[in-house]
Amino acid sequence: MANEKDRVVVIGGGLAGLAAAMRLAEAEIEVDLISMVPVKRSHSVCAQGGINSVNPATRELGDSEWLHLDDTVYGGDFLQHQPPVKEMCDWGPRIIDLMDRLGVSFNRTPEGFRDQRRFGGTMYKRTAFAGATTGQQLIYALDEQCRRWESEGLIRKFEYWEFLGPILDDNGICRGAVAQDMFSMEVRSFPAKALILAHGGCGLIFGRSTMSMICTGGAAGRAYKAGVKYANGEFFQVHPTAIPGTDKLRLMSESARGEGGRVWVPRKPQDERDPRSIPESERYYFLEERYPKYGNLVPRDIATREIFDICVNDKLSIDPERLCVYLDLTHLPSETHRKLEGILEIYEKFQATDPRVTPMKIFPGVHYSMGGLWCDFEKDEKTGGLALGSPRNHQSNVEGLFVIGEADYQYHGGNRLGANSLLSCIFTGMIVAPSVQNYMSSTNGGATDPPSTLFEREAARHQADCDALIARDGNENPYTLHQELGDSMTRNVTVVRDNAAIKETLVKIDEIEKRYANAALTDKGSWTNQNLSFTRALGDMILLARVIAEGALKRDECRGAHYKPAFQIKPPDAEDPAEMRRQAAEWCEAFAKQIKRWLKTTIAENTPDGPSFSYEAVDTSLIPPRPRTYGLKGAEIIDEVWKQRMAGEQAGAPTEPVASV
Amino acid sequence: MSKQVTVAVKRQDTQTSGSRWETFSIPYEPGLNVTTILQRIAANPVTVEGESSTPVAFDACCLEEVCGACTMRVNGRVRQACTALVDNLLAEQPDRITLEPMTKFPVVRDLHVDRSAMFESLKRVHAWITADGYFDRGAAPRMSQDAQEDAYPLTTCMTCGCCVESCPQFNDGSSFIGPAAISQAVLFNEHPVGKFDANARMEVLAGDGGIADCGNAQNCLKVCPKNIPLTQSLAKAGRAATKYVISRFLQK
Amino acid sequence: MAQQAAKTDSFAVRHHFLIRRLHSLCGLVPIGVFLCIHLTVNASINAGAAEFETQVGYIHALGWLLKPVEIMFIFLPLLFHGVLGLQIWFSGQPNVSTYKYGGNFRYMFQRVTGGIAFVFILYHLWHMHWLGAPFGGGKFIAHGEGMTESAATAMQDVVFGVPASVLYGIGVLSAVYHLANGIWTSLITWGITIGPLAQRRAGYACSAFGVMLAVVGLSGVRGFKTFEPEADSHMVGVDTDVPPPFVKTVSDPGGS
Repeated sequence: MANEKDRVVVIGGGLAGLAAAMRLAEAEIEVDLISMVPVKRSHSVCAQGGINSVNPATRELGDSEWLHLDDTVYGGDFLQHQPPVKEMCDWGPRIIDLMDRLGVSFNRTPEGFRDQRRFGGTMYKRTAFAGATTGQQLIYALDEQCRRWESEGLIRKFEYWEFLGPILDDNGICRGAVAQDMFSMEVRSFPAKALILAHGGCGLIFGRSTMSMICTGGAAGRAYKAGVKYANGEFFQVHPTAIPGTDKLRLMSESARGEGGRVWVPRKPQDERDPRSIPESERYYFLEERYPKYGNLVPRDIATREIFDICVNDKLSIDPERLCVYLDLTHLPSETHRKLEGILEIYEKFQATDPRVTPMKIFPGVHYSMGGLWCDFEKDEKTGGLALGSPRNHQSNVEGLFVIGEADYQYHGGNRLGANSLLSCIFTGMIVAPSVQNYMSSTNGGATDPPSTLFEREAARHQADCDALIARDGNENPYTLHQELGDSMTRNVTVVRDNAAIKETLVKIDEIEKRYANAALTDKGSWTNQNLSFTRALGDMILLARVIAEGALKRDECRGAHYKPAFQIKPPDAEDPAEMRRQAAEWCEAFAKQIKRWLKTTIAENTPDGPSFSYEAVDTSLIPPRPRTYGLKGAEIIDEVWKQRMAGEQAGAPTEPVASV
Repeated sequence: MSKQVTVAVKRQDTQTSGSRWETFSIPYEPGLNVTTILQRIAANPVTVEGESSTPVAFDACCLEEVCGACTMRVNGRVRQACTALVDNLLAEQPDRITLEPMTKFPVVRDLHVDRSAMFESLKRVHAWITADGYFDRGAAPRMSQDAQEDAYPLTTCMTCGCCVESCPQFNDGSSFIGPAAISQAVLFNEHPVGKFDANARMEVLAGDGGIADCGNAQNCLKVCPKNIPLTQSLAKAGRAATKYVISRFLQK
Repeated sequence: MAQQAAKTDSFAVRHHFLIRRLHSLCGLVPIGVFLCIHLTVNASINAGAAEFETQVGYIHALGWLLKPVEIMFIFLPLLFHGVLGLQIWFSGQPNVSTYKYGGNFRYMFQRVTGGIAFVFILYHLWHMHWLGAPFGGGKFIAHGEGMTESAATAMQDVVFGVPASVLYGIGVLSAVYHLANGIWTSLITWGITIGPLAQRRAGYACSAFGVMLAVVGLSGVRGFKTFEPEADSHMVGVDTDVPPPFVKTVSDPGGS
């Protein structure tokens, strides 16, 4: 066995963590893979739709990696650094080929090639898919590869082990991680030359979300507490149609509306009648009334906002306890029902009601964290993409600590494009390996051995924290606190954001934090204590909730998923063409100001007094930001004015030098 | 008082301790499932007798029936706790819902069992494709739509353990690796590249604990939450093993 | 790498697959085939004692070869199939009380009927076969072997009692179920019927075969029970010491 200190520790066995472990093993670097669940059960399994890349069929129609990049940054409202995104889009075809070779059963065309479907935010059929379980298929392929390396001794898996924190030496260099066996509750150090965090998203901060029970943000919170910066925390994607369950929210595909499903609420608040007996005149088809042109097929973000608005502001939720509206398919012919069979069965399985005869109850659900732990990158000036193998790629501000997958913040900006997340997770895992390898062989990174007392000290510190939490007395219930936190976050910090409301939530977070100090465990045992694990994670959720809420409060603009109507640039409304043009120029002026002020990465750093915020310029060196005018009145004129403006700037004084990181 | 649901949970504190039953009463609500019940118990672990207890340990993750974590015996029958809806369970057995750990795996605590044996079986049957490396080498060979449609259901196996739990042949006294692992071996043996390693898998399928130990009770097919055609995989494995052993014998 | 059977493993472990396949095979051939012949021959009593005697005669025409053939092709396979079968039975844990599925019941019945058949065959051998003679059994003696009585009447003697015929009924039914279901499972085991539809169709065929063989088998039991030697003028009473005439010379198809 090689030197223990030459190992790499990977936290999290989803797509990103497994891809990284597999590539490190290929390079004959030994890996300790730590995961709270058997890696095969990681949250990546939940991704249904597919994985994007340019492919021969789209190329034929004029598509290119550059257009994939353009769609991604446009969809993300230009908030992401462009070189990593460019690199990801360039790798897309290669990654899909690789997954194909690893045995993923992608759907096929009659000629036997991989089939693709079209997803939101693009004009091209870029999305390869394996039935309705693409994420599951992809992670299984990587799981199988890691099992192979495991049987060859290069990967050691520590499943049912929970990450407690990175080990930083006196110089602030990361030397490994401390983790706890979730069965025996043993706390131990895992010395390593480099630590890769691939712990995924943190949707549980919002109580119920579409995320898995392990997506608490516990690992992110612990890294943040240890000094890793947290970036763009306020950017969270909310899916418009999820099935509200008693334990979690489950996705309801957009195709339900695509096939003619109608969204409505009874005009009488909390009408208790059977929905089928409510006459047409007493139903409020709010999307159709408010958006006569698009009807129920308004874009995702608008649908999300309107459903949220009707329940929270108009208080027209069907169910007083649980916010939801009807998504009605009962009027559709049986052929359509047959077409939608797959998704109708999911609804039936979990709700035990037949959506063919009773309208479905749906509500937007927190779905994906675009933000995450901050990490660096190095641009290759020649390609415009990444300098591959640079130790800076995906390394956080803590030396030797790398972040990949949904845990990082780099690829999706203000809003994620459907089917890009699977790509970004595998991609980051693939490219972090050579960066880690180069970091390990570089002289400054972990070359000198830390004192062995460091590992004992860190394990003892975390053990003491566990003991203190177990011993804590108090009358607060961690599960109730979690519910209160989630309710407040969901109400005020998801879809529609208003500063007064966010402040309310921040007050609530203060309160919850105080009460958390009195949260006592009902299980004080030292064997498989899930109560301890949950209560500890709640502390991290509170920490990150504040980062998210304060970040949202500070960002006074609308960008991507962050929608704050009070700071929306007033759209043109003139009928007269000249006036329209003037208003469009005004709009563009305001937009240019907004870019200057807000096209920046939010960076939160942990201090004893709460998060300290700073803002970092975004690398937009490849594609200059432009307005997202979808659905705006006068969109064509705004586009035209903006283009003229940009042309003028280029001809005259050069634009500000592109910010580099 | 609102409608209550009575839930009896078989509890076991450690791997070696004995088990006992505890009964809880949970307020009914529409759409309630077993994982929610366990969350509700965790939030307020007080038995019907009014005694303070501890949260019930259980394994769960996605709650969407794709991760395979929350397998347990609900009303005696193995299934995923997330899709076990209270309304349906009460129709099966009106007075109470019973929750027990799986019987074929060592209990860690309460409803949480250790299924590492299943993952070890996947190692034994060589359930992967031996890729040369992870560099750019183009796509896999083309595959017909029919072949993809045959393979797809097998690829949805989430190693949940329902099949082996219900299999009378899978137990302490037998070395049978169970339908899930055999089905994965069949999946890879039929893959255009995976079949290059077919002999290594066949050695296991035609060995002790392999396909010969299947007793054709076919419970696996009935309990599989993903409706994987496991019996078809088992029969395919039988055919392949027959051929393999004969040809191995003749070629020696 | 997948584990290969290590040299240190026992013979049974190293040759597990082969042994199980042999178990399956000898259940079909020769045991299954023999069962069919045996039950058919027995059923021929319904066509008259003479017919039955003729059939028995064919078997015994083997003369001195009969014993080695019996041992090689019936007793050894039976012993192997039975002992291994019991081991297979005890290595499983039937769970029909929890999983009340048709297939699961078939699985359990296969084991139970195998067990019953095995015990029954032991009893039957003691009762009828020369192997049982030293232990007070061995009632059935065919002609040409120092025959003291007719094969048919010997049969009637032993099966005539109600308890014995019930026992034989159960034994025959168990063996028939075990064979019919065994054919169905062996079609899967050997990889002949793969898909659910193929297996269902094979199920119908095996059920039909089983019902037919059961009718044949039970008719034999019933035939011996109801067969009246007195009605057949050529038959000699059981209790006489007079050697009966050579059966083959006596032929009266309408005898029963």
